Amino acid sequence: MREAGTLDILGEIHALVSDKLQVVSYKWLSRNFSVSSNDAKRILQEFVEQNGNGLEIVYCLSGFLKESSPVYRIQFVSGVKLAEAKKQFEDNCSLQVYSVQACVPKDPAAIWNAEFVQAEELFDQPSTLDNCLRDNRFCGVSNSFVKRNVNGPSLGVAPPLSKNAAGITISPKVSNAPQTPAIPQQKAKVQQSSLKSRQSPTVTAPVVKTESNATDSNAQARSNVGKVTAVPANKKKVNEKSSSGTSGSLANMWGRASVKLKPACAPETNKDVQNPIGNLVTAEAQICAHEAMDTLISDDDNEDAQCVSHKRTSNGEGKRKRQVVFDSSDEDDFEDAVNLASPDPPKKNSSPISEINTKTLLVEKKNLNFESPAEDQTEIKQEKTTERESKLPPKEDEVVVSLDKTNGKSVKTLDPKDEALVINKATDDVSNSTKRKRVCKTRIDDRGREVTEVVWEGEETENKNTDKKDTVTETANNRPTGAKKSPAFASKAPSNPVGKAGAKKAGKGGVKDGKQGNIMSFFKKV
Amino acid sequence: MGTEAMEVDAATNLERKQATYRSMDERFEIKNEMYRGQQYSEIYFIRLHSIRNLLNTLAQKWKPHLPICTVLGLEKGKECILIGTLYKHMKLKPCILDEYSKERSAVPIVKPHNFMHSDDQLILEDESGRVKLSGTVISPSFFVTGTVVALHGNETNAGDFLVQDILEAGLPPQIELPLESSEDKYVVFVSGLSVGSGASNPLQFQLLVDHITGHLGDDKEQVVASKIVRVVIAGNSVEISPGLLNGQTLAAKDQSRLYGPIKELDIMLTQLAAAVPVDIMPGPSDPANFALPQQPLHRCLFPGASVYNTFMSCTNPHLFEIDNLRFLGTSGQNIDDLDKYSEAKDGLEFMERTLRWRHVAPTAPNTLGCYPFSDRDPFLIESCPNVYFVGNQKKYDTHISRGSEGQFVRLISIPKFSESGVAVVLNVRNLECHKLSFSTQLQF
Repeated sequence: MREAGTLDILGEIHALVSDKLQVVSYKWLSRNFSVSSNDAKRILQEFVEQNGNGLEIVYCLSGFLKESSPVYRIQFVSGVKLAEAKKQFEDNCSLQVYSVQACVPKDPAAIWNAEFVQAEELFDQPSTLDNCLRDNRFCGVSNSFVKRNVNGPSLGVAPPLSKNAAGITISPKVSNAPQTPAIPQQKAKVQQSSLKSRQSPTVTAPVVKTESNATDSNAQARSNVGKVTAVPANKKKVNEKSSSGTSGSLANMWGRASVKLKPACAPETNKDVQNPIGNLVTAEAQICAHEAMDTLISDDDNEDAQCVSHKRTSNGEGKRKRQVVFDSSDEDDFEDAVNLASPDPPKKNSSPISEINTKTLLVEKKNLNFESPAEDQTEIKQEKTTERESKLPPKEDEVVVSLDKTNGKSVKTLDPKDEALVINKATDDVSNSTKRKRVCKTRIDDRGREVTEVVWEGEETENKNTDKKDTVTETANNRPTGAKKSPAFASKAPSNPVGKAGAKKAGKGGVKDGKQGNIMSFFKKV
Repeated sequence: MGTEAMEVDAATNLERKQATYRSMDERFEIKNEMYRGQQYSEIYFIRLHSIRNLLNTLAQKWKPHLPICTVLGLEKGKECILIGTLYKHMKLKPCILDEYSKERSAVPIVKPHNFMHSDDQLILEDESGRVKLSGTVISPSFFVTGTVVALHGNETNAGDFLVQDILEAGLPPQIELPLESSEDKYVVFVSGLSVGSGASNPLQFQLLVDHITGHLGDDKEQVVASKIVRVVIAGNSVEISPGLLNGQTLAAKDQSRLYGPIKELDIMLTQLAAAVPVDIMPGPSDPANFALPQQPLHRCLFPGASVYNTFMSCTNPHLFEIDNLRFLGTSGQNIDDLDKYSEAKDGLEFMERTLRWRHVAPTAPNTLGCYPFSDRDPFLIESCPNVYFVGNQKKYDTHISRGSEGQFVRLISIPKFSESGVAVVLNVRNLECHKLSFSTQLQF
């Protein structure tokens, strides 16, 4: 039986080589006729013995060379030169027929073509299909530890969490093991963090939609809160998105997004307890769950839309998230990178919201202690608002109102006109030398940096850290804050007006303890 | 396998050897880093601080009678020890303004050129100040900006510091290895595959893959192949024509030229990953970020290979352990940069210097792109590796470096596979290395 089968194959080889002038390599043979590569080599050997005349044969000689320093060489040899070549090798070298062809192509690489075309075909088959390329079934050496996991996005989660790009668990000393269960958790975090604004028109994308609703107007603050807790995932995603492709959070976002969202919401928001906006947490959870339910249905349908929307929103999301990340966890370093200039410049921005931001913050400024750490909430809101502003003109009014509401205090009563006035007033207050003086103090801090402090009379302290070695950069105005908002990613820079610098600083001490708007007001409004 | 195959192959059904693996790349990942607009002074400060602590203890054993001073605390004529970061002032070092003023060409490849000059001067700097170094003991061609050393000398009337002796941190401590296994297990290192470039020979790469996976050769060879426990690809796996990357939208017909090389690489990696664990590191020409530490190549580039649990996309530099042996390696940027700004007889000597300076990339961030870390310097070598490899070098070379406390390091310089057809095989049992050379030239 075997003989007959082999004879068939031999016949076919002959046809291929002589008539179709194809290069038949052992690998090609093995895949084509579903035989192991060792068998394929034997078949080729037989073929060569039987019909080798008139055909070119390429042998592969491998073994250690007869040299002082050990070199393992794998060499192609044509039939003619075989004996000569063997002399260079140690005695126990191995020889096999690599391929047979009608004539040897000038470029040896052409020998590889047929094989590669075959490999490519196998490779292009749907990934759920197991074929000889993928499971290496015809190989003489088998490896039972190799596992191929085709469950798409879930594998993509691995890199951020664990060392493994493709799911090898790193419990130390273990080389191959199934994926960690930490992955779903990370995904959940990612889902939570992937809440975005509604600006994406592809409503079907669950992630986007969920986010959009969640971050809508009043809820914005709370969604920020939610995001704050997912900071590590956020940061990761932010960096990933912005940097030239590092890990699979993209897959995370739209793969299992909606499915995990609901359960994720609850645990995520529960962690927000530490934030001052406690009462909003549950509201956020409500919104989350609400949206998740809405979007679950549409989840399965439009993966493509997901992709697209994901891509589109990812920019915005990345921007926003980055801001959140900054503000929430970098509190004590915040002062370091604030610009030296007085908080005036921000007002130049045309966006009314940013004006309101600054205005609000400036108004608050007098009441603020700039050193206090937990000001990030206001800031987050401010920036989120501003951020969204640049994308959602129609929503401006809502945001304005909500901002007022959430900030409470004197802001409430202001409308845009008044706000402008207030801004100017505040500006004057700040920069007016009659009211306060700027005094420079220089000292060396414990990290070896020269710190120049600009102290306003009893009101404000801004620091400028100078690199002692290199030229002092004029980072004062733009770079630290601009950079803080959009680190190293120029594309994001435009969306972060410098004005944030002052606004941020002032806003820091802002409304953390201020009276927060009631979430129900949002619902009533709508 | 078919029943026919079973009869014959039952005898030779080899099972690949396994080895424990632990990746320690977290230190090189920047996903948790937050950029606050900080400058590079922070990473320099940490570097100085960390190595100075080491040098303080070492200096006391080295010359206990001498006091350790700060730069500002120098007094004329008083012999003391200074510890600080070296800065080399180089006349020929390219200036960013010069680069911008030149016309931008389509090929952004900087010709590697050595920027040394006989007028180069070394300056030592610490938090308090800097001082010019003089004397023949310290040679500017040996050092680069960013190394932290201890110097014994005194201040001269001219205001500079005359160096009498130099103390480097030396090889870091190494964890003792119990030499347990008597099994031969091999790790294959390859770099510079440059799939998609004109110079690369896909047949050679295929032969490499076939050999490692165990398709190629007879039983003897397959037994050898079955002992290969890991493949480490040290950078420059793909090369995309720079003309396609000039920022303009590609026509549909050109797009295949863009993903073609990557797909080809993925197909090869799939074949590898289906058989043996693979670590792939990014290199200067790979689609990864520019600054060190380069982040792992994104999994979406390898839809075929990344679904395997044996496929690991790693950072550059890459730190890992196999069977408790510590491996540290880069794709070559650190050594190539040293080569531009200092002199040594070969790449291995540069590698050894980086070990003695306890820093993988001392020229970062001065002339080598680097992330501005603010709380740590991940390139500091705290524990001496057992194997230290560098990819994309001009030729294969290897050497054993020994430390004063019995440290034992196998240094490996991995050549570019596309140019040389050479990969490197390391035996984990005895840290011996040999060349794995491929040739498809039939005109023998």
